[in-house]
Amino acid sequence: MGLFPSTKCLPPAISAPARTTSCSPPRRPCRTEGRGPARSALTFQQIRVHVAQHVGDPQLLAGTGATVDVQPGRLGEGGAQRRDGQGAWQRRGQATLRLLGQSAASRAPPPAPAGQPCASGGVHTRGRPPLLRGRCWSPPTSAGRTEPACPGEESNALGSRQAAMKDSLVLLGRVPAHPDSRCWFLAWNPAGTLLASCGGDRRVRIWGTEGDSWICKSVLSEGHQRTVRKVAWSPCGNYLASASFDATTCIWKKNQDDFECVTTLEGHENEVKSVAWAPSGNLLATCSRDKSVWVWEVDEEDEYECVSVLNSHTQDVKHVVWHPNQELLASASYDDTVKLYREEEDDWVCCATLEGHESTVWSLAFDPSGQRLASCSDDRTVRIWRQYPPGNEQGVACSGSDPSWKCICTLSGFHSRTIYDVAWCQLTGALATACGDDAIRVFEEDPSSDPQQPTFSLTAHLPQAHSQDVNCVAWNPKEPGLLASCSDDGEVAFWKYQRPEGL
Amino acid sequence: MASPFSGALQLTDLDDFIGPSQDCIKPVKVDKRLGSGVAKIHIEDDGSYFQVGHDGGTRKLEKAKISLDDCLACSGCVTSAETVLITQQSHEELRKVLDANKTSAPGQQRLVVISVSPQSRASLAARFQLNPTDTARKLTTFFKKLGAHYVFDTAFSRNFSLLESQREFVRRFRGQADSKQALPVLTSACPGWICYAEKTHGTLLIPHLSTARSPQQVMGSLVKDFFAQQQRLTPDKIYHVTVMPCYDKKLEASRPDFFSQEHQTRDVDCVITTGEVFKLLQEEGVLLSELEPTPLDSLCSSGSAQEPTSHQGGGSGGYLEHVFRHAAQELFGVHVTEVTYRPLRNKDFQEVTLEREGQVLLHFAMAYGFRNIQNLVQKLKRGRCPYHYVEVMACPAGCLNGGGQLKAPDTADKELLQHVERLYSMVRTEVPEDVPGVQELYKRWLQGEGSEQAGRLLHTSYHAVEKASSGLSIRW
Repeated sequence: MGLFPSTKCLPPAISAPARTTSCSPPRRPCRTEGRGPARSALTFQQIRVHVAQHVGDPQLLAGTGATVDVQPGRLGEGGAQRRDGQGAWQRRGQATLRLLGQSAASRAPPPAPAGQPCASGGVHTRGRPPLLRGRCWSPPTSAGRTEPACPGEESNALGSRQAAMKDSLVLLGRVPAHPDSRCWFLAWNPAGTLLASCGGDRRVRIWGTEGDSWICKSVLSEGHQRTVRKVAWSPCGNYLASASFDATTCIWKKNQDDFECVTTLEGHENEVKSVAWAPSGNLLATCSRDKSVWVWEVDEEDEYECVSVLNSHTQDVKHVVWHPNQELLASASYDDTVKLYREEEDDWVCCATLEGHESTVWSLAFDPSGQRLASCSDDRTVRIWRQYPPGNEQGVACSGSDPSWKCICTLSGFHSRTIYDVAWCQLTGALATACGDDAIRVFEEDPSSDPQQPTFSLTAHLPQAHSQDVNCVAWNPKEPGLLASCSDDGEVAFWKYQRPEGL
Repeated sequence: MASPFSGALQLTDLDDFIGPSQDCIKPVKVDKRLGSGVAKIHIEDDGSYFQVGHDGGTRKLEKAKISLDDCLACSGCVTSAETVLITQQSHEELRKVLDANKTSAPGQQRLVVISVSPQSRASLAARFQLNPTDTARKLTTFFKKLGAHYVFDTAFSRNFSLLESQREFVRRFRGQADSKQALPVLTSACPGWICYAEKTHGTLLIPHLSTARSPQQVMGSLVKDFFAQQQRLTPDKIYHVTVMPCYDKKLEASRPDFFSQEHQTRDVDCVITTGEVFKLLQEEGVLLSELEPTPLDSLCSSGSAQEPTSHQGGGSGGYLEHVFRHAAQELFGVHVTEVTYRPLRNKDFQEVTLEREGQVLLHFAMAYGFRNIQNLVQKLKRGRCPYHYVEVMACPAGCLNGGGQLKAPDTADKELLQHVERLYSMVRTEVPEDVPGVQELYKRWLQGEGSEQAGRLLHTSYHAVEKASSGLSIRW
């Protein structure tokens, strides 16, 4: 800890314009080669019949003149077709449309009275019903999709859909990053050339490419006495922060392939759960099981000083993330809320609390523009929140000069276990999730959906991506579609994602 | 739920989660009896435990009682349940004592003394739109109505605390060549800070802490030693209550160092906050402003001023200013007329320097609030603390902003604080050396400055608390 670096981490220009998702793949026309008979857009009735047959509920067919042979067994062992969630869907006249994931039945979120959060915000995009524990079954994938398909060809459509979603995520390679231990987190450096991984073996490993494979370029040991829970690169790429259960955060300086621990941030009472650098490079945030969020500042001599200690959360704080271009900090906690903080005079204050999740919020990700925030939770949903500044066109009330945040979309029914991480690709706008059911999923926003009520469709689902819980997913910041994931099995996997044709 | 304790105290692992089989340092205290080790335990319907011996005879087992003191000594399963920490010291407890006093026989009655802090008085003055003098007088009326016999002002005991701090600093500054840990001197009047220091960085910080007692505890010595002698009572016959701006002071009063084994009594029996005084007023249906004023009590005959006095240097006691001025005079012969503060990182972290011909002679600082305490401690850890003396307070903006002060629902917190600060500084200030009665007491009661008596009654010591970290308490 003696060497203090002489070169300062240069902050990138904060005034860079908000990035737009210019790389979203254009909507492809329906391809027919190799995928069975030509499909054409279905009528409303045809859709209802199709769905009813899968869900096994004759009620849906009222008025269509069609009948259906209800075979409970089609939906997997135990006939789990009458779960509570489905019952609710059927009750409403618009149920079928909701099942198909359309937000066409657009209801504007009622403008909440000043200061009050909207109770059940926005659109619910529902996927298949939750997976029964330990079982792998293929649900009707038309539920939650807007995709037309011929009623008579449903088994083909099913099979090809699942195949399509599996093919959209291709395995490039695996490395045993933290053998006999868990790999907790991954972070790509800003240049996209290196991947840092950290784990229960108390080490941080830096991975780089050599030809076609990924090799370990450095091992950062002797930094921590306990599990390293998260790592984060500084915006300039010269520093790496590692947060550990030993209550400290190490700052490592990169010197070609070598890393040296230049300082250790102490002060948290117990396990540090997350660390994040602000886009300016001058501020760092850490959070801990001691329920606090700390903001640190780097001064001219690369000394870190505590700027603020925020005690807004009432439970363990799991994750902190900075807004991509504002000095706005977000934190997620075991108390089921997300809180936002900003600077006010000489201290930091909590300027918003996002309530809605029904269990621990594990991770957060801002979209490329910073207008929206995705949160994932133990309640098996991903929520998308949107910022409404004072005087916004949509008429959302704000208190004072702080923007309001409303939940504009909830992705539920897609994950069968806790969602541990969510990552929003800054290049393509794709949303990846890491789930406790060992699977990786990717969602993309439907281009035609209303920005105030977006809908997201599941475009990739890879069950058994790892042999245990997937803890983290991370998009490469420079190469579109390159995704890294890590798991309790200690492995890091690299994937190529390509939005599947026809989806 | 917001905890009323200061930020520093909240973050010192006062966790509601009691880990399974975490070691409690006070297990069931059962006298060990010789004999075979095996015995059965039988639980009665009413929940009491009986040990059934081999011969069939039963013996009722005593429940282990864990007192507040035990909890403070341990860092194993300390619970933040407010009921545990506060029940022993609350305005309800005070009421009980006062009511008991009314009904008990003359021989059993206790002399009730209430010492009011200037910060609490300023907070009440702001609420009731009164000036400090009227507030002091009307409070005297109110407390005496409730059953108190004497009402004092802790600004008087603060004189001793300041004088001892001044002397201590000069002594340590002069001896710094001999001891690396002599400087910086860190103030110790804030119990929130002390609790944090003892629990998290005991070995590092304790050598630097000033041993001078806080005004509350000097008052404890004054009342239970000097005043008791004057009244020809044993200390346990006096019930000493203090009115303070924060809850952390309750913990300070419960420290074993301030418990007299000889007389089995605490120097301060009960601490109530400004908020609790307000509750008492409400319960009595009394508006402070409508009470008639009563002349103020004084601990010594020569000090019978009819208005309260205070000290310069801010609402947290003025330690930095007093020690700075005294040190400048004593060590360098410089008379400081005005102390200039230079704000650093934020308004709760400011420094003061004494320079002569470009050389820094004295470098003092004030660090309020947890984040500044953190930075100070880290600097100390790395041996890069440039200060000779630091006034440390756990609450941002100091004692006037303590957790037990009154809040006004219709006023912004900042405005209210400014109002309280104005009222606090309205009181006439005195220099401790010139306060009548103080020198007299040093002679009469303490047998001189620096005497053994003075050391025992005006100073204290600190103890590092070992952390009992059990692997079972880890929550992911």
